[in-house]
Amino acid sequence: MSSIQLRNVVKRYGSVEVVHGIDLDISEGEFVVLLGPSGCGKTTTLRMIAGLEDVSDGELSIGSTVVNAVAPKDRGVAMVFQNYALYPHMTVRQNMEFALRPLKLDKSESDRRITETAALLGLDKLLARQPAQLSGGQRQRVAMGRALVRTPEVFLFDEPLSNLDAKLRTQVRLEIGKLHKRLGTTIVYVTHDQVEAMTLADKIVIMQDGHIEQIGSPQEVFTKPRNSFVATFIGSPAMNMVEAIVNDGTLIGDHLNVGIPERFSGRLEEGQKVIFGIRPSEIVQVSDAKQSTAKARVEVSEYLGDEALLDLRIGSQELIAEVPASQCPAEDVEIDVHFNPQALHIFDAKTGLSVDIQ
Amino acid sequence: MNRPGTQQTILVYVLLAIVLIVFLTPIYIILSSSLKPTPIMFQKPPAMIFAPTLEHYVSLFEARPFGKFIMNSLIVALGSTAFSLFFGSLAAYAISRIRHKRMNDVAFWILSMRMFPPIAVVVPYYIIFKATGLLDTPLALVIIYSTANIPLTVWLMKGFFDEVPSALEEAAAIDGYGLLRIFWYVTLPLAAPGLAVSAVFCFIFSWNEFIFALMLTGSNAQTATVAVMSFWSSDAVQWGRIMAGSFIILIPGVIFVLTCQRWLVRGLTMGSVK
Repeated sequence: MSSIQLRNVVKRYGSVEVVHGIDLDISEGEFVVLLGPSGCGKTTTLRMIAGLEDVSDGELSIGSTVVNAVAPKDRGVAMVFQNYALYPHMTVRQNMEFALRPLKLDKSESDRRITETAALLGLDKLLARQPAQLSGGQRQRVAMGRALVRTPEVFLFDEPLSNLDAKLRTQVRLEIGKLHKRLGTTIVYVTHDQVEAMTLADKIVIMQDGHIEQIGSPQEVFTKPRNSFVATFIGSPAMNMVEAIVNDGTLIGDHLNVGIPERFSGRLEEGQKVIFGIRPSEIVQVSDAKQSTAKARVEVSEYLGDEALLDLRIGSQELIAEVPASQCPAEDVEIDVHFNPQALHIFDAKTGLSVDIQ
Repeated sequence: MNRPGTQQTILVYVLLAIVLIVFLTPIYIILSSSLKPTPIMFQKPPAMIFAPTLEHYVSLFEARPFGKFIMNSLIVALGSTAFSLFFGSLAAYAISRIRHKRMNDVAFWILSMRMFPPIAVVVPYYIIFKATGLLDTPLALVIIYSTANIPLTVWLMKGFFDEVPSALEEAAAIDGYGLLRIFWYVTLPLAAPGLAVSAVFCFIFSWNEFIFALMLTGSNAQTATVAVMSFWSSDAVQWGRIMAGSFIILIPGVIFVLTCQRWLVRGLTMGSVK
């Protein structure tokens, strides 16, 4: 196990900078997920940790050693690639042996490790097969097995589940979680799937355009998003964002007014332009007009089984509400909705930063 | 797909027969002539049934050290093939992997060497080899043939290396391997069909080459192709020996191509990524 530190790490391709001076501390045994949309720099960051990309500027350490100039093979990392990258001319056993050979182990030790790992991942019966004879899920497990046999200090995963179908993805996700509990190895895991991030991570690093937007536990990034990007990126369906102006303890928006909760007092200025966010599950239909935050027209309702998603129109803006399916109103009717003030997130309209953290 | 009709099937077989006749007739003439006693060799119409004789084969080896010339040909052809595959695939790997805006120019420059008419440099080569003492040695031919074979190998192998997914090499790099070992254990085995194709082309070119071998070798390093033609003189053309020698020359090429054929399989990288 090793810790990893990134200090002001920059990645440039020619004159184009794709990762802009990021700082990140990963403790020993921690499961860290780099999460973000395509092109946010998460895979580039992972590849810099692996040593597959040079660090253009800044300092990258694994354990207590600066590894900027250390070759991938000497970093004590193992990596599971998005496309698995199994050696096609070798059997499953040979794939694992090939990964072990540079460690110069005894034949008996290397056999023991292969047997153990194969048993752990359910590969025992596949050892004599070649990658072309395996299904996608099996290849994925072989890729993990090949990384696992080396008992690395750090485990790197590059979107390992993105080529699997939905059911298999859930299953392998659970397996990866169990594996981490059992081995306790430091893991850095890249994904664009927030469900993977929320379920697996000890710590989520949310990235956008080569910057880190927020680092925190799954609960933190969900309940205390640092800015409007994180707020809308985490959670499905996405948080509703509404433009408003602070006026006498109330947020005045287009055809709606919301009272500002006590905890924001002193953090907002009169007349300040803000964006407030409310999660779809915090918008509820009320029958009492006194409790109503706004009148909303139900444009479309989407039935999902337990819940239904309502596409609401309030003034010129569209919002999504998540209600129990049993209470789903008819389409094209006007209903009274209430925004739970305790669940309100308020962001400065200019900077996008949460006023909670200012 | 519809089953082809009878007429189409017949047409296909007729075309195949024509192609086979065109390609196999010369070989038949070589083989049959080499086995015919001299008096009936040019009989008209050609004798289809005759008592075969090995006299031309025996006299071929008695008249000149033909075994040695075959050996020279083998040394030169295998030597140049090995030399070209070694340097050609290393160069191709570099061209395939190094990202540089001028890399295409380098690749084209290498290819352009093949466009040069080789006969133009026979005299300079003669002078160089005479000065270096390489005249009439197999090494001289190995060097010359390699200058033609390496560009071909580079271009063929570059295409095959381009097809090997870089993720495999990255995986090996993380698994603890350096550049040369990655090349040897991962990249090269996956480009084996390319090696086989290159080997066939290099071998056949070197084995068949005549002009350089004629001009730059004497009794010591003479190759089989040149030796066969030595039976063609202004006084007499010894057809029996020429035919026997020609038939023997055909054999190693066929064996070599058949040996390489088993590597000419597609889909070696299947199952590696995705």
